[in-house]
Amino acid sequence: MHALSFPVRLAAAGSLAMAAVLLAGCGGGGSAPAAPAPVLELDQVWAGKPFALNEAVTTPAGEEFTATRLRYYLSGFRLRRADGTWFEPKTDAQSSEGYVLVDAAEPASAKFALPAAPVGEYSGLEFRVGVDDPRNNAGAQTGALDPAKGMFWTWTTGYIHFKLEGRSPASPEPEQRVTLHVGGDGLSRTVYLLFATKPLKVAEGLQPTIHVVVDVASFFGGEVPLKLADTHTVMDGPHAVPLADRYVGLFRVDHLHHEPAAARP
Amino acid sequence: MSVRGIVAGVRVWIAGALVAALLVAVLAGTGARASIGNARDRLIETVESWRAPSFAVPAGWPKPVYDFSGNPVTRAGFALGRRLFYDPQLSRDGSTSCASCHQQFAAFAHYDHPVSHGIRNQNGTRNAPGLFNLAWQPALMWDGSVHHLEVQPLAPISNPVEMDESIEHVVAKLSADDTYKKDFAAAFGSPGIDSQRLLKAMTQFVGTMVSAGSRYDRYTRGEPDALTATERDGLALFRARCASCHAEPLLTDFSYRNNGLDAAPRDRGRETVTAKEGDFARFRVPSLRNVALTPPYMHDGRYDTLEQVVDHYADTVQPSPTLDPQLAGGVTLDAAQRAALVAFLKSLSDERFVHDRRYAEARR
Repeated sequence: MHALSFPVRLAAAGSLAMAAVLLAGCGGGGSAPAAPAPVLELDQVWAGKPFALNEAVTTPAGEEFTATRLRYYLSGFRLRRADGTWFEPKTDAQSSEGYVLVDAAEPASAKFALPAAPVGEYSGLEFRVGVDDPRNNAGAQTGALDPAKGMFWTWTTGYIHFKLEGRSPASPEPEQRVTLHVGGDGLSRTVYLLFATKPLKVAEGLQPTIHVVVDVASFFGGEVPLKLADTHTVMDGPHAVPLADRYVGLFRVDHLHHEPAAARP
Repeated sequence: MSVRGIVAGVRVWIAGALVAALLVAVLAGTGARASIGNARDRLIETVESWRAPSFAVPAGWPKPVYDFSGNPVTRAGFALGRRLFYDPQLSRDGSTSCASCHQQFAAFAHYDHPVSHGIRNQNGTRNAPGLFNLAWQPALMWDGSVHHLEVQPLAPISNPVEMDESIEHVVAKLSADDTYKKDFAAAFGSPGIDSQRLLKAMTQFVGTMVSAGSRYDRYTRGEPDALTATERDGLALFRARCASCHAEPLLTDFSYRNNGLDAAPRDRGRETVTAKEGDFARFRVPSLRNVALTPPYMHDGRYDTLEQVVDHYADTVQPSPTLDPQLAGGVTLDAAQRAALVAFLKSLSDERFVHDRRYAEARR
């Protein structure tokens, strides 16, 4: 697919230098990438303060809420070049590579390498919150997509893209439970983050890191704040649409960081 | 004679010779009559196991939905799937296996159980369906909630009233069992037990359950005498009145319909999956293959006999907003037509399938 689309893009760009860069980045397939892969570091916060499970906060609707679990999938990462074209890493239908499960209970899951990108400058990052429909319907998977991770509905087919559980006095459920599960076909959402102040540089000897703030409070905010008294238990696809539309606003680029890469063996 | 034919011939001959030799050995060795039956069973098992499991599309059938090219059927993979299907360890307390509610003699339905009967004597809400020709089924369960054959076992494994277990814990239990370690390595060529391997192996077992050997099949393949005159009348009626939903050759069109069981249905059916009002009380049109072997009938198992089912379509279809329009007012059938239809439905049993020892519990 890329082999076909790249020459077309190159013609449009009309740049031989660009061609060399692209071919170096994409050619060969098996060869080691020329530059360190960008790292994505997620900083999960609640209205500017560090977000923590099992700590009571007040939502924008004025309700008390204590999160006990926050997990979500990110996938489909692609980087936008300065010229508006995209670097889209190859995907393998047999592998869960490129699918990341972020779990607030596991801080290490909030920092991970993106797919290796060709040397160059990039103006933005796009990704999907959740799992794409084809993969949602592709049968038994491994790695981050292993159904044993607890992010797969068993009473109906589909990954849970976003899972937020906790307690709130506003919830009429037993033990004041709040269960917000967004999953199934049509409920992943694409997020585009623009690197507004400076481009992301991918180069030999340079380790680029994208620091992204995930403000959990913003999930509850927006024009119509989420009221847990009304929305406390969502566990199926069709009723989760209004929630899916909320998680797009969770993400914002805080800053980019470039530092000398550790010498590679 | 083709090379394949010769090979098959030689195989049969070797099998025969082995059976004879082993029987002689058993008779000469112990002389005990009880062990003869046991030895015979083991021999049959051994000989049957030489029929390598494979997936084949019967002549004239459509292309299956499940693609085995991503999960090639092997002897070891199939054997592992078979072991898992019959293993109660897949349930929380070790009491309930897949086969508990899917019995081979009932074409893998749960004979005489209106709804599935799971762990700790709990009842589910729906009738466990027969298992066959699943590779053609675009979605599973009465409401089509499961979209892919490979992930289907996750539903009963984790359902609190069926097996009440987590796949994570099943994998942990199997990983602690040396014989499973060996079986997984044999099936997938490298050590390791995970949910994907477990599900793929199970799919090799249930996905290759192809049932196309009924008398009706022999009739449609050019054996006019395979059906009696009454059964042929029933087939003609079936084609005129029933086949718009129970479409040949799989005897279902895989759609979801409300067949008028209740004026005020309690089970929301497909609506629970799609959240569309129009799907209220709609259920998957089941295949009618092996239907005489899979009583009781309907999603809630309310009818015990085929006669009751046919009478329902003729006499008791209840109007409701989502009733299938084709059933409005019922299907006109006189007594002779009902009898012919039932006779035809009984010709749909595939005795070879329900007696295929490859799908029975393995002796270990």
